[in-house]
Amino acid sequence: MSTSPSFARRIGADNLFPLLGGLLVLFLLYPFLAFFLRIEGVEPAAFTAPDLVSAVRYSLTTAPVATAVATALGVPLAYVLARREFRGKLLVDAFVVLPLVMPPVVGGAMLLAGFGTVTPVGQLAAAAGVSLTDSYWGIVLAQTFVAAPFVVITARAGFEGIDRNVERAARSLGKGPVETFLRISLPLARGSILAGVVLTFTRAMGEFGATMMTAYHPRTMPVQLWVEFVGRGIDATFPLAAILVAVGLAVVLGVRYFGQQLAFPA
Amino acid sequence: MSLTLRRVEKRYDDFTLGPVDLSVEDAVTAVLGPSGSGKTTLLDVIAGFEQPDGGDVLLDGRELRGLAPEERQVGVVFQDYALFPHLTVAENLAFGGDEDTRIEETADLLAIGDLLDRMPATLSGGEKQRVALGRALVSEPDALLLDEPLANLDAPIRRRLQRDLRDVLSRLSIPVVYVTHDQDEAATVADSIAVLRDGTVSQTGPVEAVFAAPATPFVADFVGVENLLEGTVISAGPDGTRVDLGWTELVASDRVAGPAVTVGIRPADLHLEPGEADPDRDNAIRGTVERVVSQRTGSVVTVEGPDGTRLVVRRRETGLPPGVTVGSAAVVTVDPDAVILLE
Repeated sequence: MSTSPSFARRIGADNLFPLLGGLLVLFLLYPFLAFFLRIEGVEPAAFTAPDLVSAVRYSLTTAPVATAVATALGVPLAYVLARREFRGKLLVDAFVVLPLVMPPVVGGAMLLAGFGTVTPVGQLAAAAGVSLTDSYWGIVLAQTFVAAPFVVITARAGFEGIDRNVERAARSLGKGPVETFLRISLPLARGSILAGVVLTFTRAMGEFGATMMTAYHPRTMPVQLWVEFVGRGIDATFPLAAILVAVGLAVVLGVRYFGQQLAFPA
Repeated sequence: MSLTLRRVEKRYDDFTLGPVDLSVEDAVTAVLGPSGSGKTTLLDVIAGFEQPDGGDVLLDGRELRGLAPEERQVGVVFQDYALFPHLTVAENLAFGGDEDTRIEETADLLAIGDLLDRMPATLSGGEKQRVALGRALVSEPDALLLDEPLANLDAPIRRRLQRDLRDVLSRLSIPVVYVTHDQDEAATVADSIAVLRDGTVSQTGPVEAVFAAPATPFVADFVGVENLLEGTVISAGPDGTRVDLGWTELVASDRVAGPAVTVGIRPADLHLEPGEADPDRDNAIRGTVERVVSQRTGSVVTVEGPDGTRLVVRRRETGLPPGVTVGSAAVVTVDPDAVILLE
């Protein structure tokens, strides 16, 4: 590799990284600005359109449930992956991450193959009065599938960051594995777990690809946004986009803040 | 109370502990060994963090094998202290037993009463160490394990805490296993010693006995007998044992069975004199002063013997004796009582 010293001197080596990073920030920021600046005026009524209200309602009632399911099962899984060695761990590891790297639409197709109306599971659920596609639960299914890896991966990193001897100390002081987990591991990993929960929730709120396959109806915010765009153009997506961006921004800032508040110095 | 290990074994892919036999009465036993000798594995097996592949661990006759750590009543003090970082010192102490009087007594004993409201991250290393010990003691364990508890501390604090620990531990009247790689620490803190090498116990016994009569060259080296020389017994009689080192002869009061021996001499038992050696004088080795290193107390002198063998001499005084300089000839002498014979 060769670098021109005169170039480096002109830029100043100290300024090179901020310059490169600044380019990326600009690239990330530009579409936001372009999108919101082209809006010439929005009717307040657009925010109360029945389709929009319904989409917001579905998103806000499904994403928390998907997040709760992902957390209730994902945190224990994260702990097992952080603390135990077992045969096939590498494979389990890979499957946990797979939904992250796979196109969500592919995940949706797989979910349909597993839980669709003509599948045994789908029929069993239907017999119990629960529809797993094109329904509230179809949305939750898609959101959980796509978003759960976030809480597992983040919580796992949190558990792995805990000195194993701290847990051993609790055990040697007479506390069983459950009490040790609740009183030591969980509080010490709470910053990471919270970050994972929030990321999972955000991902669930924004889930589109898999949801479109499993539940085009009833529509969540991202699906409704797509429908508006296809039917009426980019400007029609503004109200929903604004709400989703606001939720996303609040969540990201919240993670930053609480992540710092909840960390414990070793 | 007593802690007994019978034929305890733990096998890993690249390391095997044991079989280890060890008996610890109501006193402090130091497990002394270099890193990788299996000291921590031994503690893990006693504490229940690892299950042994064979053998028994008995605490007062109670079989511990198969019991979870929380069912054993074995206290552990870790090298990295392992305090609960999200709890105050008081909450750390109360974690294993919430009896107020017991916490107060322990805080008094360890002089940590004024730290109770602090968080662990704000404590010094020495304070953390005392809190870690206190936390284990509050739970009133039937046995106590300490894994290199002072290894992360600066030398002056370590020396002071060694004496403090000695006082606290000797009052406990429970079996205490104290893991260390530091022979001075073992000598200060413990009543007896078990020297561990490659997963097995090389020698056990009271501290004085092991230090005075190490059973193998490895133990000798580990307890500070730095001069280890190969030799052959040429005669043994009431006047002592005469050993031929090939380049000089030594007389030892010690006795030994085999003809092939390792001669061990502590650096502090060697003495340095100026001039040439009288060939008729026993235990006077001629050599050349190679190097002198001054230390806090005295100095360490390296003397090269006629065949290139290096002898380490520790002097109470700093520098070299009058008439001796680096590069000059000198005589190294040793009392026959101080010559240890090892098979």
